[in-house]
Formats: sequence, structure tokens, C-alpha cells
Amino acid sequence: MKKYALFLGCMIPQRLPSAELATHKVFNSLGLEIAEMTGYTCCPDPILARLMDRKVALSMSARNLSIAEGQGLDVVVLCNGCYETLWEANEFMKRGETSREINELLAKVGRKYNGTINVRHVVEVLHEDVGIEAIKNQVKKPLGLKLAVHHGCHLFREENGRDIWRKPKQFEELVSATGAEVVRSDVDQLCCGFPTSHVDEEFSLKHNLLPKLERYQHIGVDGIVVVCPACNVQFESGQLALRRYSAKFSIPCLHLVELLALAFGAPSKELSLEFHRSPVSQLVARIG
Amino acid sequence: MMEEAEIVELLEKNIPDGLLSVVTPRVRKVSAEIAPDIIRKAAETLLCKGARLIIIAAVDAGLDIDLLYHFDLEGKVVVLRVKLGKEKPEIDTVADLTPTAEWAENEAAELCGVRFRDHPKPGHLVLSDKLPEGTFPLGKPFKSKLPDEIGPVAEAVITVGATAPISSLMKRRRVEAGLPPQPPASYSNESQLKEVHELIRQTNFSRQAGYDWKRKKLRGVKK
Repeated sequence: MKKYALFLGCMIPQRLPSAELATHKVFNSLGLEIAEMTGYTCCPDPILARLMDRKVALSMSARNLSIAEGQGLDVVVLCNGCYETLWEANEFMKRGETSREINELLAKVGRKYNGTINVRHVVEVLHEDVGIEAIKNQVKKPLGLKLAVHHGCHLFREENGRDIWRKPKQFEELVSATGAEVVRSDVDQLCCGFPTSHVDEEFSLKHNLLPKLERYQHIGVDGIVVVCPACNVQFESGQLALRRYSAKFSIPCLHLVELLALAFGAPSKELSLEFHRSPVSQLVARIG
Repeated sequence: MMEEAEIVELLEKNIPDGLLSVVTPRVRKVSAEIAPDIIRKAAETLLCKGARLIIIAAVDAGLDIDLLYHFDLEGKVVVLRVKLGKEKPEIDTVADLTPTAEWAENEAAELCGVRFRDHPKPGHLVLSDKLPEGTFPLGKPFKSKLPDEIGPVAEAVITVGATAPISSLMKRRRVEAGLPPQPPASYSNESQLKEVHELIRQTNFSRQAGYDWKRKKLRGVKK
């Protein structure tokens, strides 16, 4: 049984525990084992925290990686932002000078990171380690839904020379494996607006979220699938916030692992989908 | 004639407790950072050796006011740097020890808002007495160099090691959903959080951000 260290990050336990539950159900169904990362911290946040101070950001990331390395496990991440931060930190920690500098700090709290593990997005793990056929074999309830796939900006981050569409395509194929139809549109690659919401909420709502939702509504999607809790928060809280500007939407948004859990036949009640602030129950009703 | 190393030794010997750091950045210069409460002892130490106060420069650094007491000691410049938190920018006067300090302290007071305790002749130096109280031309907003938008994230990351800790309502809802009240994050384990705090201290970030470890908050006025 393949085993991974699960990095939950900050937002999933606080805003989207249903994705935490769904991950356990999906991994269990696929014969994957999860280990907790005791004492982990924020990745830290790819936009804000990393602007604060390079040393503090890298040392916190390296400390997180050292926890998984201590268990001899690769890290699996459910969030695009956490993925980018930890993946980048892992690359930096393979460079002699940076590794020495950060390990000097880690040594002061009794830790060391040797750079022996990999950071994997849940999309990569499901697509590469499990495979589309194995996923399809687990689908008990094929989802006859029209779904918009919001990849999220950080999912496009890729090693130099590699295809930036590698993970986004894997994501789409995983959604298709549930029996859902992936509906493409010209706003797919527009940022949801979560990062800019910290600086200018109105701008992020009107110039990022609104055009996306208008397009999705026009196409008539049943829901939006994401692989990032920050995007999820923006789509859900953003729909509520847009009412201030007389823009009303009612489009469900959920994480890929939740979609897979539903397709694998997990009862929606066991997933506690009521944590969502968008009408996910609407989508569940369509699945039946 | 005293050499730079002898001046360093003099400071280390006479003000061992409040001497935070001392360096010789170049020939004929010694620079020491001292705690505010030993300014008189430090000044006396130098003055007893025949030093002359050249100037006191005040610099508003956002969260603190830096006071730089420049002395000339046998042709060497000795700078005593004192950091005064802007929550209470007060320090003992040295004007009774060296008359040069009298107007220099008045200048720092009127331009940056430093209060010099027991100053023999408080009042404006060059600015009008009619200036509204609390107006300091060289004063800056009471904030760190972090952009305002980053402040709350920085505070949360330092305090609990996370951008979004678990609220008590969410703890209850998690339990109802069959999850543990908190994930195994550092904020759910005291010894782990202690380790994270130590790591952050080692990076010096908390000082730059102006984090007050006692109050568990960033210093300065929030937006």
C-alpha cells in the first residue's frame, strides 16, 4: 500500500473540512495510506507570507518538509498554493548554499532537511500513481454533470522545460473519469481573484470572479471543480459578496476529492458538504 | 591615546548589562547599541574619559525612534545607539552631564516626539511654541515596513504558525463531522508551537515585523 504524508495547510481544516474527509475516503477506496504531519505550519502562503521575508518563508517550508522526511514519505498536497510553496522550497533546498543557510536555522530547533522527498499535488498522485483506469474502476455513480474546471494559477507552475499543462490536463482527465463532462470556456485561465482580494476586494470580485461566473452561468454549468481551497473560498464567498453589486449567482463549487468521493458512491452526508457556502446540495440532488 | 579596541573594552567593562552590541565598523569609529535605561551610565563612562558630545541624531524608524549619541573621544567617533519604542518614547536626559545635550535633546523632542525625563530646560528649539501639541515634523506613521495588507497574515503566522487558525465554532463543527477538533498543526500542540516560535525568532523576522511576543500582536497602528 502506497503511503503519503498529507499536508492539510491552513484553509482546508478551517474552511473546507469536507475536503479533508473526502481525501480520506478517496485514498482509502484507492488503497492509498495517509500519514499525519504532526506539528506542521502554514506552508507558508505563496503570495503574502513569501513577500514578508525569504528566510522565514523558506525555513518554515523546510521544517514542514523535514516532518515528512522524518517519516520517509512524499508529501501530498490538496492546495495549489501550498503545492507551489513547498515544491519550490524543495527545489531551493537542493541547492547547496540555500540548503546550508536554512539548515543552520533548522539545526537551532533540532531539525534538518536533507531534500530526499518529493512534493506531489493530489492531482499528480491520483493521475500518475493511481491512474485513470483505476479511478474509473472505483466510480459507482457516474456523474452526468456539466462541470467547469477551474485549474487555479499555481497548478500551472512547472519545472523549467516541462509542459505547464501537465497537471491541468491531468485534473481535467480526473474530472472526466467521474463521468462528468468538462466544459471549456475562454475564462478558464482567468484567476479567481483570491490573491488580489487581500488588496482590493472590489477589483477581485468585479474583474476576476464576475466575468468567470457570468460565463459559467451563460454556458449553463452544473458546478465548478477546483483543486485549491483558496479558489473554493473565492468562488463561494465571492458569490455572496457579489450580491452587494446586484450580481446574483447560485453555482456550486467543490474540490476534486469531494467530486471523486461522490462518484465513488460515498453518501453526501458522510462528506459533511454543508461546510460549503455554495449550493453544493443542488449538485448532489442532480447526482441522485 | 585610546585605541578603538580599548574603547570597546571600556564599554564592555562599565556597562556590561545594557550593552546590546558593540562593533568597530571602520578605523576611528566605535558603534554600540545600548538599552535606553543605561544611557546616563554610558554617557558618564565616556565623559569621564574626556569625551565630548558632538550631536544627538533622532531617526523615526516607524516602530521605534533611534537616538544616536555621537561622542568624540580622542579623535575617535563613538556612537551610542538607543532604540525607543514609540509606544512610550521616553529616556533620561543627559543634559545635566554635558550642556551640549540640552539643545540637541530639545531638537529631538520637537522634531520626533522624544520625551527627555528631567530635562533642565524643556521647550522648542526652532519650531514655534504655537505648534499644536503632538505635531512632530519628522515623525512617521507608527507602523513597520511591512505593507498594511500583509500585517494580519504576518501576525497570524508568527502567533500560531498558520494564516487561519481554527475558531472555536469550527472546532465544534469539525467534531460533529467526525473529524478531530483541530488538525495536527503546530497550533494544536504547545511544544511544536514553541519550536516554531524559536525558528521564527532565529530568522529575525519577528523583530523586523515589529512583533510583540508578550502581547502576541504586531506593534503599530493597524489600518
